[in-house]
Amino acid sequence: MTLILLGIRSLLKNPYRSILTSLGILIGVLSVVVLTGIASGAKALVLQSIQNLGPNLLVVIPGSVTDSGAQVGGGTDTTLTAEDAQAIRSQCPDIWNASGALRTAAQVQSPHANWSTVILGAEPSYLPVRDWRLARGGFFGDQEERGMARVAVLGRIVASRLFGLSDPIGKFVQINHAPFRVIGILSSKGQSPMGMNQDDMVVVPLSTLQSQIMGVTYVGVILAAATSPDRIGAARREINGILRLRHHIPSGGRPDFEIQAMSDIAKTAGRLSLILTVLLALIASISLIVGGVGILNIMLVSVRERTREIGIRMAIGARPRDILVQFLSEAAALSFFGAVAGGAGGVLSLLGIHLAVGWPTPLPWIGLGLTVAGATLLGILFGLYPAWRASRLDPMEALRYE
Amino acid sequence: MTKIDGPGISVHLEAVTKIYSVSGEELPALRGVSLSIGGGESVAIVGSSGSGKSTLLHLMGLLDRPTSGSLSFGDRRVDTLSATDRAVLRNRSIGFIFQNFQLIPRTSALENVEMPLLYRGLPARERREHARDLLASVGMGDRERHTSSQLSGGQQQRVAIARAIAGSPGLLLADEPTGNLDSRSASTILDLLLSLRDRFKTTLVLVTHDMEVARHLSRTIRVRDGQLEASS
Repeated sequence: MTLILLGIRSLLKNPYRSILTSLGILIGVLSVVVLTGIASGAKALVLQSIQNLGPNLLVVIPGSVTDSGAQVGGGTDTTLTAEDAQAIRSQCPDIWNASGALRTAAQVQSPHANWSTVILGAEPSYLPVRDWRLARGGFFGDQEERGMARVAVLGRIVASRLFGLSDPIGKFVQINHAPFRVIGILSSKGQSPMGMNQDDMVVVPLSTLQSQIMGVTYVGVILAAATSPDRIGAARREINGILRLRHHIPSGGRPDFEIQAMSDIAKTAGRLSLILTVLLALIASISLIVGGVGILNIMLVSVRERTREIGIRMAIGARPRDILVQFLSEAAALSFFGAVAGGAGGVLSLLGIHLAVGWPTPLPWIGLGLTVAGATLLGILFGLYPAWRASRLDPMEALRYE
Repeated sequence: MTKIDGPGISVHLEAVTKIYSVSGEELPALRGVSLSIGGGESVAIVGSSGSGKSTLLHLMGLLDRPTSGSLSFGDRRVDTLSATDRAVLRNRSIGFIFQNFQLIPRTSALENVEMPLLYRGLPARERREHARDLLASVGMGDRERHTSSQLSGGQQQRVAIARAIAGSPGLLLADEPTGNLDSRSASTILDLLLSLRDRFKTTLVLVTHDMEVARHLSRTIRVRDGQLEASS
């Protein structure tokens, strides 16, 4: 105990050097804490927004399989149709509802303004499938869908860009120079998991988009909601069966569509962000190791500088073990101080990030404790060699050292 | 472990040689020294520089190991002990005084004197009290907080002596203790050493090249070219 105090006291005799040495460990721990904090914040964010999409949701995309394997989101094929969506809706017992959807980018004009945004063509069932709400007005129904009506439901951002504070309901917007009557405004929903702002869009009937704007007959995606989360597997099999039948794909043949469950995507995203977390922690650990090397370096210098002191201590009866403990406790104190300060700095930085950008930054207390303990241990490990060298000095040679 | 403690450890060297190898070259410092110093005896080792007299003292102080031959304290062989055992012996049985004082820099006089007691495992308060008494006994009671750079040579040597006797050693070894001092400080230090010898009945071995100093001790051993010349 006394020897440990002795080590700490000799650090205080060289305060600047001690602080600078600890700085390496401090920065290492800080970056580990901040980076893993940000990574787990990102994970929480992604999982949360996937959850917002609805845990029951199945997504059918066309032709996303290539020769080299699965290609998530790569579906540019045109094999899915509104009739497929209709079949899924009416023939799958474990599907509660489904909707085809198609999107394109277009210029939208009001009498006062002009806004480039996404036009989403959707069936009336899209609203309940996505569990979207309307802030004002209504959504279009089967009649508008069948009649390819020129009606539009605006996202929050589009509404405010085009109409400012005035009420757009009943007014007209121009999409590709064709007038559309505004019948409703969607509630604010924020970012989608794919990074799209879901408030920056205009929703029109699918048939209208297909025939009057794009001139196509396919849909980009079919969204289907299973009756409950535990029916997702069954729902997926049913969709598979129906689409294979409708697309004339023999059993064993490669389908021209792919079905993804949101719960799977959530799982994948979770796994990806875990990899991200580990990767970031690894990268940050490198700076921690650099900090440890800093301790190694300064302890070697310190041992050399204090060779005569070590000789004196040995001459008056310090055992090799006493010298070892003294120098080891110096290294431990340096790294412990740096680790604690870095941990505190990391927590403060995460709180700062949380306050600044509103990211969820869950404080990983256990990870924090492990990081601080690990960094201290690292310092001790790096201090071991210099301390061992000090303890093995020959008393006479050490005394003669100039 | 048998405790070899004061007062008065007897020291026996039997055919001791010490060869330093400096960059491959072998430099013999001692060539076969046999010597006995009785418990409580005070001996001066004299000789010119490079004669091997300091090497002899360092061997007795267990700071170095002989190349061959044996060294015993009483009837206990000590040259073959482990580094740890020798450290314990240095701590409990030997007080070493150096020509250049060897106080730990940037450390107060009191802490320097406390240090051997610390390695002995004494509790802090006891250590502090004992170190205060020792500093007072060498006339440095009013300089406890001073570090070596704030003390004169004579004062530093007095602190070093207080440190050397802190563990009540049975063997006091002094390597040119007055060599770096002016004549007035030198005689104070010599008087202090002799009075300590008388008070604690320790064995005192003092290396010097000053015959005036040697005269105050009961026996003089001359070393020349790594060998004993004659005893008087």
